Amino acid sequence: MSKFSSLVHNENIKIYSRTRTWIMLLLLAVFSVLMPVLMYVSSSVESRPGMWDGFQITVSVIFYLNTIFTVVIASDAVAGEFSWGTIKLLLIRPWSRSKILLSKYISMVLFSLLTTVLLVVCAYAASLILLPSGRDVFSRSGWSPEAYSAMFVLCRYAELFLTAALAFMVSSVFRASGLAIGLSLFIIFVKNIFITIFNPDRYEWANYLPFSHMDLSGYLVSNTGPGGATLGFSIAVLAAYYAVFLLLSWIVFSRRDVAG
Amino acid sequence: MTVNAAATEPVARLIGVTKRIGSKTLVGDLTLDIPAGQVFGFLGPNGAGKTTTIRMMVGLISISRGDIVIGGRSIKTNFEEAVAQVGAIVENPEMYKFLTGYQNLKQYARMVSGVTKQRIQEVIELVGLGSRIHDKVKSYSLGMRQRLGVAQALLHRPKLLILDEPTNGLDPQGIRELRDYLRRLCREEGTTVFVSSHLLSEMELMCDSVAIIQNGKLIDVRQLKSEEGGQAQGRKFVFDVDNVQSAQALIGGTVKDAAIVVQTVREDIPELNAKLVSGGVKVYGIKEVVVSLEDQFLEMTGGEGIE
Repeated sequence: MSKFSSLVHNENIKIYSRTRTWIMLLLLAVFSVLMPVLMYVSSSVESRPGMWDGFQITVSVIFYLNTIFTVVIASDAVAGEFSWGTIKLLLIRPWSRSKILLSKYISMVLFSLLTTVLLVVCAYAASLILLPSGRDVFSRSGWSPEAYSAMFVLCRYAELFLTAALAFMVSSVFRASGLAIGLSLFIIFVKNIFITIFNPDRYEWANYLPFSHMDLSGYLVSNTGPGGATLGFSIAVLAAYYAVFLLLSWIVFSRRDVAG
Repeated sequence: MTVNAAATEPVARLIGVTKRIGSKTLVGDLTLDIPAGQVFGFLGPNGAGKTTTIRMMVGLISISRGDIVIGGRSIKTNFEEAVAQVGAIVENPEMYKFLTGYQNLKQYARMVSGVTKQRIQEVIELVGLGSRIHDKVKSYSLGMRQRLGVAQALLHRPKLLILDEPTNGLDPQGIRELRDYLRRLCREEGTTVFVSSHLLSEMELMCDSVAIIQNGKLIDVRQLKSEEGGQAQGRKFVFDVDNVQSAQALIGGTVKDAAIVVQTVREDIPELNAKLVSGGVKVYGIKEVVVSLEDQFLEMTGGEGIE
């Protein structure tokens, strides 16, 4: 038998052989540089943000793009094979369906790590060059700017990670990449409206939905989150949803009859 | 004796295979042995359950009841080892269009062990793709995709090659080439080929034996390339005559389409003819009725299609 790593290699080839993947990477790099440039040209020397503030603004804005691009890749992972018809040739190899699904998931996570590193490097370099003299004014409650920024990126990545798992799940359960992309983006954008209407401070049950826990960066400056939740509770809720998403993908993918 | 037993061990056995979706039975209690070293046809009208059976054989869909054993390994309980001995195309060979033909083959080569660069080259030459192998698949014609499909199925030298309607969409020359290399593969590499089709004339030219399926049930398995002598006394001849009634009175036989059909042997023809002529019946022609697979098939299935 060949090695499992060659399955992941195959999946990577499928991702990076497509032009659109490179367009996404290019857009991500350009926008990560463009944000600090805009901050530089749109403000006078006195009101210019500091380097770490600039970096943080860039990360929080461009991470939406990062999430969208990762969701696009995650949505195509399984649904793409079905719409191309290639699933029939893929599943008749001497590999269990679980391993094929896992290889797809791993290649998708590798892509999200690549885009995140690209974003951080571009945003950091541009902020370093363009905004060296400004003053950092954001409250970081005792964290050093470097440590705070690193934790901030980590929190945003956790949110992306869960959204991508949702897209992956919809992709393998419904075999429709459009639905997977649409649903994931809907949740990204409606999340905050939902929290406003069904505030976990007023509605107990809202605490068990993932929405109010997805942004963990609040815990960097405060010990209690929305609805009086603790960091541990938030992570537990997110982990539970994550497990459910992956379990659903696995059950449906490994049992499904591939016909038509 | 033991050597013989091993040689005649079927490559694949379908044992009471049933596929049910809801209350509808797509394939019912299908039992079939596919002997080694043959081109074995799987024949039936559209919707008879051919593709469903093939999908079960390669594990794309689950088996409701029964089992499929390939090279001694059950596809249900030992999927990876069973399917490792199979190369297949299920319906149209869909490839990654944004990759070249060669990159597509590499994808499948990586998923099994022991497929070398030389082997890939060998397979490309066998199916005759030549230098076009380095073009993107989106530029391929249907015939070329079909060839690439066969190439991916052969990469790992499978014991059993399963092709679902491989002649679909091919031009006459493509069909002929496919037939030739399937036969060559069977002869030279000893690969067993299991091929489904609804084109009877094609199957007649291509296969050693055929299994006929209708409405999910196996209705017959027969040898096509049997010894010629076997059917010597069973031949039928048509006498094209002017007066059917008096002809029947003279030589017997049955009336069919204003002609007389007589079951007899070749040597008796002149005598029968002489009887007719001396009896005043005008004979316009005498010819043998060749019962083609198509006639047999229509006879067996009653000419009906999908239920």
